[in-house]
Amino acid sequence: MCDHHDILRSNNKDLQSFEKQFDRRHFLKKTSLGIGALALGSLLNTEKAWANVGSNMPLFNKNKQGLPHHLPKAKRIIYLFQSGGPSQLDLFDYKPKLVDMFGKDLPESVIGGQRLTGMSGSQSTLPVAPSSLKFKQYGESRAWVSEAMPYLSEVVDDLCFIKSMQTDQINHTPAVTFFQTGHQLPGRPSMGSWLSYGLGSDNDNLPTFITLVSKNGKGQPLKASLWGNGFLPTEHQGVQFRSGKDPVLYLNNPDNYDGNDRKKMLDYLGRLNNIQNDAYGDPEIQARMTQYEMAYRMQTSVPEVTDTSDEPDHIFELYGKDSRDAGTYAANCLMARKLLEKGVKFVQLFHQGWDQHIGCPGGVRNQSRKTDQATAALIKDLKQRGMLDDTLVVWGGEFGRTVYSQGQLTDKNYGRDHHPKAFTMWMAGAGVKPGFSYGETDDFSYNVVKDPVHVHDFHATLLHLFGIDHERLTFKHQGRRFRLTDVHGHVVKDLLT
Amino acid sequence: MTEVPDFVLFLGRFHPLVVHLPIGFLFFAFLLEWFGKHPDRKALKSAVPFALFLGFITALIACVLGYMLSLSGDYEVSMLDSHFYFGVVTTVIVLLAWLIRVDKLKLTVLNTAKSNISLLTLIVVLLSITGHYGGNLTHGSDYLTKYLPFTQKEQKTLPKIAKVEDAVIFDYLAQPIIEEKCISCHNSNKKKGGLSFQDSLSIFKGGKNGKVVVAGNAMESEMIKRVLLDPKHDDFMPPEGKTPLTEDEIFILKYWIDNAHANFSSKVSAVKTSDSMKHIASVFLGFEKMGHNKEVTLPKVSPVETHVLEELMAEGFNFRELVFNSNVYEVVLPNYNMDKGTKDLTLKLQKLANLKSNILWLYIEDNQLTDAHLEIINTFNNLEKLVVNRNQITDKGLKLLENHSNLLSLNIYNNNITDNCLESLMHMHKLQKVYAWQTAITEESLNKYQQEANFPEVILASY
Repeated sequence: MCDHHDILRSNNKDLQSFEKQFDRRHFLKKTSLGIGALALGSLLNTEKAWANVGSNMPLFNKNKQGLPHHLPKAKRIIYLFQSGGPSQLDLFDYKPKLVDMFGKDLPESVIGGQRLTGMSGSQSTLPVAPSSLKFKQYGESRAWVSEAMPYLSEVVDDLCFIKSMQTDQINHTPAVTFFQTGHQLPGRPSMGSWLSYGLGSDNDNLPTFITLVSKNGKGQPLKASLWGNGFLPTEHQGVQFRSGKDPVLYLNNPDNYDGNDRKKMLDYLGRLNNIQNDAYGDPEIQARMTQYEMAYRMQTSVPEVTDTSDEPDHIFELYGKDSRDAGTYAANCLMARKLLEKGVKFVQLFHQGWDQHIGCPGGVRNQSRKTDQATAALIKDLKQRGMLDDTLVVWGGEFGRTVYSQGQLTDKNYGRDHHPKAFTMWMAGAGVKPGFSYGETDDFSYNVVKDPVHVHDFHATLLHLFGIDHERLTFKHQGRRFRLTDVHGHVVKDLLT
Repeated sequence: MTEVPDFVLFLGRFHPLVVHLPIGFLFFAFLLEWFGKHPDRKALKSAVPFALFLGFITALIACVLGYMLSLSGDYEVSMLDSHFYFGVVTTVIVLLAWLIRVDKLKLTVLNTAKSNISLLTLIVVLLSITGHYGGNLTHGSDYLTKYLPFTQKEQKTLPKIAKVEDAVIFDYLAQPIIEEKCISCHNSNKKKGGLSFQDSLSIFKGGKNGKVVVAGNAMESEMIKRVLLDPKHDDFMPPEGKTPLTEDEIFILKYWIDNAHANFSSKVSAVKTSDSMKHIASVFLGFEKMGHNKEVTLPKVSPVETHVLEELMAEGFNFRELVFNSNVYEVVLPNYNMDKGTKDLTLKLQKLANLKSNILWLYIEDNQLTDAHLEIINTFNNLEKLVVNRNQITDKGLKLLENHSNLLSLNIYNNNITDNCLESLMHMHKLQKVYAWQTAITEESLNKYQQEANFPEVILASY
């Protein structure tokens, strides 16, 4: 340990004599404590105590997990998370028979004893509310899409709808957390962190996992644990890019500092951290060093990638006029494409505002107006660049909405409550069947009658597309091995090309 | 049958545990008697009455618990009866043996050394018979003899088939799964939950909890519902400790119920069979190797030495092994890495050519790549995907790739290419997709070529 100190030792005599005393005392203390700590650490968690061993190995053999398990279809993913729970009944799951049931009480045989939320469970009636939006079939695949999403209807032949999604959670925070991490309580690693941990980075100048949130989002709050690394090493956490002047906070040099000696400063800091690392072997020190260096590289790479001014006009027109307004869903979609092009593996986009307890038809139209054109544009743009072949696009919320009206039902207006038992999401691109629809719900879009797909199944399928067997990507923590799918999940092979 | 209280069944399930106590005690009594015959070890005999007494008490308890267990109705009646009567008779004889031994029953004729040993021998024989019947009830009657050496294995051999399409779905696919994972507890002797998979009749009869198979509706079939439950759920099948079904096995059973309508004679060729199902079936029957997609066969290539990769990484190439230990790689040369190592792209590519057979996917985007570079890339014989958009490629360059035999996908958007390259594309006989946005290729000429068989799908602007 002491030889490191030689490098840093000053020639000042006083300091040298001081250091001598300091060193002797601390040598004894640190050796006994340090070795003790390492021993304890290795008792508690062998993998972590030695985590720094081999972390500088080149990318091609860094992978200690034997990954990928099979030939991947997807290189990268963009997840368009529609937070709040979009109404499948007003967008994709067309139920014409409901018109005859207008206003009638939803039969108990359909509800099947399910415990409803406190928001509508106490209503004296649960009147069936058929969608007031018009539906039409589009494309060669004859997919049903409502009038709320005219742009998306142009690309249905590239989409793979799952009409039979199911989740365990009926409230926002646990349901979003469940979708992002495979568990309803915060603390597990998110999907993006698992992929970053398992597959590593494609571009050392940018984070592997980036989160973008549409600005001025109202509704249930989103929090950093949704893109957190949980118990995985810290460098695998999602990095949020914010809208506006500073996409990543504290990345710019402060005023009156030109940043010329930044590299030197970081090198020196790195040496100090290395000493600390040798003494303690705490993997968090490694993570900290990696992140300092990443931040330094991001000082140039981030302004470059977040600047969309070099995009031609026809691209802005494709994504819609919002795409010139930084921080909107459309602008985020465009930035996401640039990030994916630069080798970011996972872009997690969030758009809030899909929680239509009241004024459902208007709300669905309104949110569709903000997202529809850009979503479709993203598909088209990725396709013409040849990126849809190895990029997976996912669209969906944390749950669906009820067929019965929450609050008063009129001809034109109704509200819909949370519904976890059946909802729609879609995927597109890498390795999933284009122009395909999977799973069916009953006439009320209330229960799944064919081919249910649970959130765990979705996770298993997602990992499969990246060449990962979801049962074999594990991390040992607190005495047991964890997976994204825990002890559940089946790959939905029928969705794959 | 009237409902049996849960508590009775709870106690009944201790029968298989308790039953080993009388076996041990009584066999020990027999051993004490046998070894006590020697004059030096006479003292042993004095323990015989005690062992018999314990044997009787525990046998009695075992009988009562056994009766409770039999009330569950999970067992085949005739075999159950034999076990029952032998158990009771054994217990009674043990009682008699003890009574004689402690002189409560004055049958002096019997209480001699000879009769003692023969009575105990009788007990051991009865024990063995009872135990054997009991074992048959729990494990099935062929359990003991299944692996008996030097016997002809009794096995239903199915006629050999040449291809998956000829397989009778139930016999070749579903039945072997049931045999392996279900039948040990659900057969005609041991009907757990009243269910037997022995033959088609009993399968359709179902069990106590309803229809085990609903033809055409796997999700309503108890059999599928149970195996798909949360493994921690009480009703999950197979129960804890037994090997659960694999995903492919569940897939096959669902396919039999949904697509073949749980028919016992349909062949694969006769029902709607998805590609993934056909693949699973082929793997199951040994026609194909494991792996999700059948067209995915990676080329066999020799490993690349670490130092070679390290040198190339110093040149700015990024490597990713596509499947662990497969030695085939995706190679990316990001444009921000151009200033690493040699400045000249040609030299970089010449170095890369050292592992030309190991490259499956190659990405060199926005890097001033020219036709001359394509000449080097053309030697990468296993290349399946080439992504060279935003470069300076012309029709001449693509002509160089004409004879490449493995290329599946080509991304050449934003290059100086025209309609003249379409002829070259037609010659690449494996080529499936070409991305050619922002080139001079026109819709009209493309339409002409799209008529040709084997012409790849060419994607221009998608709006």
